[in-house]
Amino acid sequence: MKALSLEFYKFRRRRIFLIITIFLLIEILWMGIVTGKSVSRNPDYAIWELPIITLCSMNGLFLPILTAICVSRIADMEHKGNTWKMLLSLSVKPAELYRAKYISASIIMLWVCVLQMLSIIIVGILNDFKQPIPLHLLSQFLIGTALTNMVIIGLQQWISMAIKNQAFALTLGMIGGFIGMTADLLPQQVGRLFVWSYYAKLSPIAQSFTNERMNFMVRDINSLLPMMGVLIVLVVGIYLAGSIHVSRQEV
Amino acid sequence: MLTRCISVELMKLRRSRIWLILMILPIISVLIGSVNFYLNQGVLKYEWYSLWSQVSLFYGEFFLPILIAICCGYMWRLEHFNKNWNMIMAAPISAVWIFLSKLMVAGLLLIFVQGLLFLLYFLGGTLMGLSSKLPRELPGWLLRGWIAAITISALQLALSMRIRSYATTVGIGLCASFIGLGMYIANLGLFFPHSMMVVGMGVISQKSISPGDMIIFFIMNIIYIVAISTFAIRWIKKSDVIA
Repeated sequence: MKALSLEFYKFRRRRIFLIITIFLLIEILWMGIVTGKSVSRNPDYAIWELPIITLCSMNGLFLPILTAICVSRIADMEHKGNTWKMLLSLSVKPAELYRAKYISASIIMLWVCVLQMLSIIIVGILNDFKQPIPLHLLSQFLIGTALTNMVIIGLQQWISMAIKNQAFALTLGMIGGFIGMTADLLPQQVGRLFVWSYYAKLSPIAQSFTNERMNFMVRDINSLLPMMGVLIVLVVGIYLAGSIHVSRQEV
Repeated sequence: MLTRCISVELMKLRRSRIWLILMILPIISVLIGSVNFYLNQGVLKYEWYSLWSQVSLFYGEFFLPILIAICCGYMWRLEHFNKNWNMIMAAPISAVWIFLSKLMVAGLLLIFVQGLLFLLYFLGGTLMGLSSKLPRELPGWLLRGWIAAITISALQLALSMRIRSYATTVGIGLCASFIGLGMYIANLGLFFPHSMMVVGMGVISQKSISPGDMIIFFIMNIIYIVAISTFAIRWIKKSDVIA
């Protein structure tokens, strides 16, 4: 807990929350414009499914890069300040430091998910959606996005801490964004091999096109549980592999 | 002096393995674009044109600007480390050459990226047995994409020079791509660096760009490059550095 609070203390002047929030606002603005235009063209689209699926598809591109930025900033302050040796000589275990950084990045990215959930509600209210706020769909969206984020944070933190040159970590974020955005174009068996595609795969809404019209279907949470199980295993596996590798590395 | 500055910049990148980073984007773009083209040949009937739409769509719209942000950020990051800013300012080199050499090196790296994209696109199409000739617009797409990429490089270099946080400049690059797409949709594609990339590379519409638009395209790019470079050089001359 002390290590975690020290992490927040260290980046208190780095405005990570503010920067991440500003970047996120661009995505939210885009989602709001897409929803508003679709509703004004066809009032039948004034349903909660539309902003949820729009955000889920955009998350495939946006969140891997946002995660890379967030994690890189948290890890890079130690590389830049050359403080790894100092921290480790203060009898802080490397694994403890790794855990504190992982949790602080997860908290920031959870803030992103909560903000996205709130933005869906605001967009729905502004576009005068008649149905009540679907809390079950929103919580399903929150769980799916947060879980995918946690796997990606694990990957990014591993690279960001193991390799001093942050260009590689940011490039991984870029590759993730590319795969996250295009995974739906690939055959399902191939697409599911990439963790970045799970923002869309764990979306509580599925969409299909018939006669140039978008149709939305609510996915049953039970059908998503096996995928969530796989992601939980990946979270643990990638975290442990990264923690062990970085802890054994010479600083 | 400029050639010496350029060779110094290249020397700084020598062991950075940046070529690895530069190669990844064209490879992924062509790989995913070709797979998608191959699986949907029933719908995508215009051979090389359809393949280009699949290969360049995400490449030009979002990811080349992000790659540029990563490269430009890396070039300035070297100066932000180890008190190198002090060293660079104390050296008998004009601020003009400092900035222009970085811009030119970014231009050279982007020739490599665009060249690799062309090679892989040609290879992908040939392997899939496309029988028609290559699009006559292809050199124009690649050249205009490169020019727009230099404009974006100037912008990213100026940002990375000013902002010490590497990741933040990449985030700004990502957001600017979205703004660029919005400008393109609003028919203002020729007035923003990131949307000029979309227009220039024929990413969304593969129709030939009209002569009038072509002139505006080149003029706008020159204006942006000159304005951003002037601002950046002025900043180096007038402001104190934080080493």
